[in-house]
Amino acid sequence: MESIIGFLISWLPIFAIYGILSISLNLEIGYTGMANFGKVAFYAIGAYLSAALTISVMLSLVGKNVPLYSIEAVQALSTEGTGALYTHPAALVGLFVLSLVLAFLVAGAVGYLITYPTLRVGPAFLGITVLAFGEMFRVFMRNYEPLGSTKGLFGLNNPFVWLGNSLLSQGLFALVALGLLLAVYVYAERFVNSPLGRTLRAIKDDEVAALCLGKHVPRVKATVFFIASGMAGVAGVLWTFYQGSVQPDTFVPILTFYVWAMVILGGMGNNLGALLGAAVFTLVDRALTFAAGMMGPSLIIPPNYLRWMIVGLVIVLVLMFRPEGIKPARPIKTPAWEAVKEEVGKDG
Amino acid sequence: MVGVSEILNTVQMGLAYMVIALPLTLSYRVTQVINFVHIIFITLGAYTVALLGLVGLTNVWIAMGAAFLLGGALAVLDNVAVFEPLWRRGSDVLIIMVASLGLWIFYKYLIYAVLDKLFIVLRTNTLSVLVHTEGFPSVSLGGITIDGYLIDTVVASVIVSLALYLILMRTRIGKAIRAIADNQVLAEISGIPRGRVLNFMWFLSGGIAAVGGVLWALFQTTVTPEIGDQIILQVFSIAVIGGLYSLTKTAIGAFIVSGTENIVIAVLHDAFGLPLSFRPFLVFLVLLVVILIWPPLGAGGGLPYRFRVRHRSRR
Repeated sequence: MESIIGFLISWLPIFAIYGILSISLNLEIGYTGMANFGKVAFYAIGAYLSAALTISVMLSLVGKNVPLYSIEAVQALSTEGTGALYTHPAALVGLFVLSLVLAFLVAGAVGYLITYPTLRVGPAFLGITVLAFGEMFRVFMRNYEPLGSTKGLFGLNNPFVWLGNSLLSQGLFALVALGLLLAVYVYAERFVNSPLGRTLRAIKDDEVAALCLGKHVPRVKATVFFIASGMAGVAGVLWTFYQGSVQPDTFVPILTFYVWAMVILGGMGNNLGALLGAAVFTLVDRALTFAAGMMGPSLIIPPNYLRWMIVGLVIVLVLMFRPEGIKPARPIKTPAWEAVKEEVGKDG
Repeated sequence: MVGVSEILNTVQMGLAYMVIALPLTLSYRVTQVINFVHIIFITLGAYTVALLGLVGLTNVWIAMGAAFLLGGALAVLDNVAVFEPLWRRGSDVLIIMVASLGLWIFYKYLIYAVLDKLFIVLRTNTLSVLVHTEGFPSVSLGGITIDGYLIDTVVASVIVSLALYLILMRTRIGKAIRAIADNQVLAEISGIPRGRVLNFMWFLSGGIAAVGGVLWALFQTTVTPEIGDQIILQVFSIAVIGGLYSLTKTAIGAFIVSGTENIVIAVLHDAFGLPLSFRPFLVFLVLLVVILIWPPLGAGGGLPYRFRVRHRSRR
């Protein structure tokens, strides 16, 4: 029982983070047909924003004027009992919530802006520009001294660390993360079944037809990009508070394709499938880490390489042999559809 | 200070970029797929020259030939095993692009895993190898030393681009490739064996990209498994400058990017103290500016939005 709870506490936040990421990617690729190869950029924006905000406000609360990345800052924050994380619980939780809101807005705004130059060109260009943007953000952070350059920011912990009991605080965080995932899922489901969601499918199937029907395709695409990027920002905040630190080299482009693999395996255009894909991949990751710990260096292929080889193979094989994924896309639930069915049924 | 070394670096880097980016544009024009496995061809070429040097075969021309064959074989394998079945099933080009992405990730970590074992056998500690190979000797001209690797790069890139030009413009198969690039259906109706011509095209582009990888290794002098990944941004920017359409513009783009990375950054460093590590940043700016100035580009595949300028007629 103990071990199951321990497993859940460590796995659920990761599942929630990747679940949010894959749902947001699914909104873009699965429903609207926009290839986003730079999801990681918005994830990184959320993570860095929350870390910088929380650490700087916490430091000013305890009256320390030291660089955010210094050892003194880490000590002032996270020394058991006397650190700022323990003495200002209300501020910590408040900052967590504020980070979630701000990360959604900032990452979303950046996503909205980046669509301006890119949506007028084809899907491939959009993907590559966003990929380049993500790399650029990482390179910038690697060289930006005030936010710790290559070492990143340290010293945070989960927002309930002041409870003292690590099982309780981590469990509470896992529940909050799961709650956020649920909120994102419900929102995404309602979004894609709304009239706007039908427009998205129309754009995916035939952009020209959607344009001819009077839909403002660039604006709709930009809206979806805003929402999905904001969701990625929220996932970034969760990552910061789960990990307790942010490093620029976490946000390599390959992370985006990890999320792509989840969406492709689960089924493009199905939110439940995206969740399923996230669950499968995070569990496989756990299993590989566990196997590596058991077998040690006798494993033929080191687990880190094996994990990514599986990711690559899954993308290729699923696309080749089951392109619709585990859960194929379903028709949209709409009252109009019911009305049509009723009408048809009545006439016999 | 912009000195002779910056200019020589610009030339060497630009030529290497050109040889790497030309086949990317070629394969995009023919198949409309941006091939992410391109990155692997670069890594493969770089490791070919490095590993051959490690076992004592230090002739750069042999290395280039081996890299050409290996890269070409890999490209044909991808086409036969993945791209062609997907295309025949009528998949969207976006889907084929994502499949190439999956292949890239798979190959990259396969290379990691293989090197991991290989280097236990070879008793080296790290995955990075110093390039040790011989081509032309270094030349001293009026106090300026021109590195032997630079001369190799110039000779190889001239041979490659000349050969590519001759194949595309003067041979039957080149004509067939151009026909498929212009209109696949029409080309097939005219009796062009699409599958075979495409295989040849993939062999050519994979091989040339691998030769580009060798040239890139000569420029970097150290080869790591990330050597291809480090220049994705630059290579794609170059291809976008060429509109993924024109081979000449791609070649010009190669020199724009390498000039930005060597000369512009040096000027900005002197004038404003910009750190040299901001190189990728400038490349991204170039990419954005290009996309903003010419929205639909050569091959944008965009839509008839109101701001789309009327396309010049294709050829």
